[in-house]
Order: sequence, then structure tokens, then C-alpha cells
Amino acid sequence: MLALLFILFAGMAIGCALAVVAQRNPLYNAIALIGVFISLACLYVTLAAPFIAAVQVIVYAGAIMVLVVFVIMLLNVEHEERRRNRLKFLVPAAVVLAAVLIAEVAFMLVSVTNPPPAVSNIGLTGSIGAQLFTRYLLPFEITSILLLMAIVGAMTLARRGGLLSSDARLIPGVQQLPLSMVDPRAAPDDLRLVETDSSEEAARLLGVDPRDTERD
Amino acid sequence: MDTAIDIVLKFVAITVAFVVVLLVVAYTVLAERRVLGFIQGRLGPNRVGYGGILQPFADLLKFILKEDIIPDKSTRFVYSLAPVIATMAALMTMIVYPFGPEIRIPFTSITIPLVIAHFDVGLLYVLGITSVGVYGIALAGWSSNNKYSLMGGLRSAAQMISYELALGLSLSGVIMLAGTLDLAQIVDQQSAWHGIRWNIIYQPLGFVVYLIAAIAETNRVPFDLPEAETELVAGFHTEYSAMKFALFFLAEYINMFTVSMLATTLFWGGWNVPFIDLFLERGSFLFGLISALGFLFKVCVFLFIYIWLRGTLPRFRFDQLMSFGWKILLPLALLNIFITATLIYFVS
Repeated sequence: MLALLFILFAGMAIGCALAVVAQRNPLYNAIALIGVFISLACLYVTLAAPFIAAVQVIVYAGAIMVLVVFVIMLLNVEHEERRRNRLKFLVPAAVVLAAVLIAEVAFMLVSVTNPPPAVSNIGLTGSIGAQLFTRYLLPFEITSILLLMAIVGAMTLARRGGLLSSDARLIPGVQQLPLSMVDPRAAPDDLRLVETDSSEEAARLLGVDPRDTERD
Repeated sequence: MDTAIDIVLKFVAITVAFVVVLLVVAYTVLAERRVLGFIQGRLGPNRVGYGGILQPFADLLKFILKEDIIPDKSTRFVYSLAPVIATMAALMTMIVYPFGPEIRIPFTSITIPLVIAHFDVGLLYVLGITSVGVYGIALAGWSSNNKYSLMGGLRSAAQMISYELALGLSLSGVIMLAGTLDLAQIVDQQSAWHGIRWNIIYQPLGFVVYLIAAIAETNRVPFDLPEAETELVAGFHTEYSAMKFALFFLAEYINMFTVSMLATTLFWGGWNVPFIDLFLERGSFLFGLISALGFLFKVCVFLFIYIWLRGTLPRFRFDQLMSFGWKILLPLALLNIFITATLIYFVS
């Protein structure tokens, strides 16, 4: 029974993973990746780790991939163009890494023979919680601080466009802007001018959404 | 052999639960139309059968017989996949809810639990499956190749991400009180003292936040921006017709139902009916039946609140929706966790 389920979900995972690589349409890639995450979650359930399975679905399938799909929809990315010449050196690297991975799996299959303990409650919520808040408290806290830093960093990056005052206006047509307004690395008193074609481009260079300033 | 019987029994249980749920959902639609009619001073559908009780079947027949139109410029595969994802995600949460206590079948010694799957992480399972449901709407909006659909899909994705946080955090208080994620155990803990142990008494703030976030999660009035008909025609399902539209419709109502079941299970004592264990023996058939009916009654009260709100409130503006979710609801949920944690620390 378990073996059947394993074959089913492992097959689904591999099939979806192949689709992630093979599909050209970015949205299909994303859907296939969601499929991989969900089949992995099913595998975790068969391995008596329901907590990890639920978290896998909530965090990866339910949150991160929603953001990815959201961005793909928002930008309306069309089919990816074939770029034959770039990144060619990655092909041999991929072959070598795949060989290492296969060798590792083969080694595991040959050398590890002792069966895992039949009954275990390591995967249950209570034991995970107890371990997280006692034995692994420090790594847990460090991870959360890391995530907090990432959030603050993202906020800082997203707010860079807020350098303009709230009553700034965009003027349509060709315009010239001081370099210090366009390039954050330029000295503040660098008044060399930069020319842009349209207000949209100027807005893009300044990192503001043109609709934001036009609205009021 | 035993596992085979087990599997067959599970399939029977799932089928029964699905049929009951779909029937309740069908009649929720009818109740919504009648109650809305009543609120707006008209009759609503009352012609098919006595007082309109056959209306849901007439609707279903109409959906089946209509022409199924797939727009020429749509992405066919995703277009057909989206309603399936929406409905499947809505139905899949059904298996972890405890509909009632264990009951003994009359004249035998067989006891059956009125819950399909006993799951250590039942609550997380519900949250996870609910969060997958957003793909149905988002992909429908994208694949229709229609700007109104796309706007609806984007709005819905943004809205569901925002309110999922408040929803999850509002449940944390209950989890901290219960010390488990197993829905059956959470209900069991609320069974003593004839209703005094119901979590609503200890988690009023959490319940209010949950109720608001849940209405937003199900895209219902006053948070129905993904399908705001005055601005987006019908939002993400503008291009859908016939059974594909019916599936989205179904998913929305099943989601209302599951969200109401979660509210009942976590805050209003689940299947516990106050004072009946004074008269009836726990575990007897009648006890189980009354408990299950009590559960259904509480869920129906929530469904009525949904309909009532739809007849009463105007729609939010999108920026209001976002700032309400992030600046009011989320801090309130965090405050609830803080208060609960403090109280637990000092009381125990």
C-alpha cells in the first residue's frame, strides 16, 4: 500500500519537475512547480511527518508560489525567448552535478540497509515544537532574526522611490534631470544632466510608479 | 483484508459527507436568494416546488444544459484547469472536520466516529488547502485573456495573501489554549460545563478577527472585490459559462460552508450542545444525532450571517481593503496572541 502511494507521488513529483524544466511558458513552469511541492507534501505524509507536509503546502505552495504566479500575471510574461548562446558553460556543470547526485543516491541505496524504526513520533507537531523551543532554540531564533532582516531589507529597497517629495509632478515629454536624482551612487551635488524620452522613463529611472504621482 | 474494509468505509464516509455538504450548499444558495429577496422587499424564487424547494435542482439542470464556451484567445488547458482546482481545494478540507461525537449504531456494538480523517495537524491541513484554493481564481483570471478577468484574479490573489495572515494569526489564540492542532481534540476540550468552556468566551477578539478575515478569504460582501460587478463585469469568472461557471459558484459556497464549520469547531464548541448530556448517555445514537444536528445548526447560523451581510453592507474600495487588512486586522490578531500568551502565563 505504502509502496504504491510512494510510486504514485514520486512519479508525480518527477513528472512535474521535468515539466518545470521543459515547459517554455513561465506560468506552466510555476504550475508544475506547485505540483512538485504538493506531491512532496504527500510523500511527507506517507513518511509519518504530517507537520512538515502541512507546512510545505502552506509556505511553498500557498504563499511563495502565489507570489510567483502573481508576478508572472502582473508582468504578463510571454514565452521565454530561446537564448542559445548564453550560459552554455552551465551544460557540462549540470552533467557533472547530476552524475554526483546519481552516485550519491546509488551509494545510499547500496550502503544503507537497516530499516528505519517502525513507530516514531518525531514528525508530529508536539515533538517538533518541544525540540524547536528547547534543543534548537538558538538556531530557531537566529533564523527568525534573519527573516526579520530580510523583511526590513525588502522594505528599504522598495522605499527607495520615496526620495521624491509627495507633491512632485511628472512632466510629459523629453526632460533633463540632475544625475544625483537618477543615480543614487552619484554625489548629491552632482548636477550633470541626464536626458530621458518620456515621463514614464524618467519615472522608471527614479524608481517611482508614474501612476502614483499622476493621480493626485 | 482489514485495510481493504477500512478503505471502502472511508470512501463511503467521504461520499456521504460530500453529498450532505453539497445538499446544504445547494440549499444555502436558495436560502440566500430567498433571504436577500426578503431583505430587499421582494419574494425571491418560489415557483419550483413548494416555496421553491426544488429551485437548486432547476438551477443545476440549467447549468448542465447551457453551452460551454471557451474563448478563442484563452489558454485552453489552464482555463479548464482553474475551476477544477477551485472546487477540489474547497471540497478537500471537508475530511478533517468532526461532524459529531462517536456514535453507536442502534442494536449493535459498532461505534463509528463522525469524522473522516483523524489528523494530527488537522488545522494546518485546512489552512494549507485553503491557501491552494487561490490558484483556481488567479489562474482563471489569467487564462481568460480578458482584462476584467485578469484584474479580478490579481485582486483576489492580493486579497487572499493579505487576509490569510490575519486568519492564521487569529486562530493562534485557540491553538495556544488547546495545545493541539487536532480539530477533534479541540472540540473535546470544549465539551465540559455546558458551553462555559467554548472558546468564544476566552477568545472574543480572536473570533471577531477570524470572522472578518474569513469573509475576506471567501471573497464575499463586503470584500467581494475580485468579482465587483459594478467595475469588473464579473471579475475572474467573466468568461466562464455553463458547468465551469457552476464549479466556481459551487467552490465559493463550499468555502463559505467550510469557513463556517471552522468557526463552529474552533470557537463555538463544535458539535457540543449544552445540557443534552444531562438527559442522554454520551455515545448513544440519539446523543450523536442531536450533536451532529447542533453542529449543522451552528454552521447554518454563520451561513445566515453571510447572507445577512450581503444584503446589508456596501463594498469596500480596494485601498481600504488593503489598509484594513494590514493596518487594523493584523495588529489586532497579534494583540490577541499577546493577551492570550500573557493570560496563559499568569494563570497556569
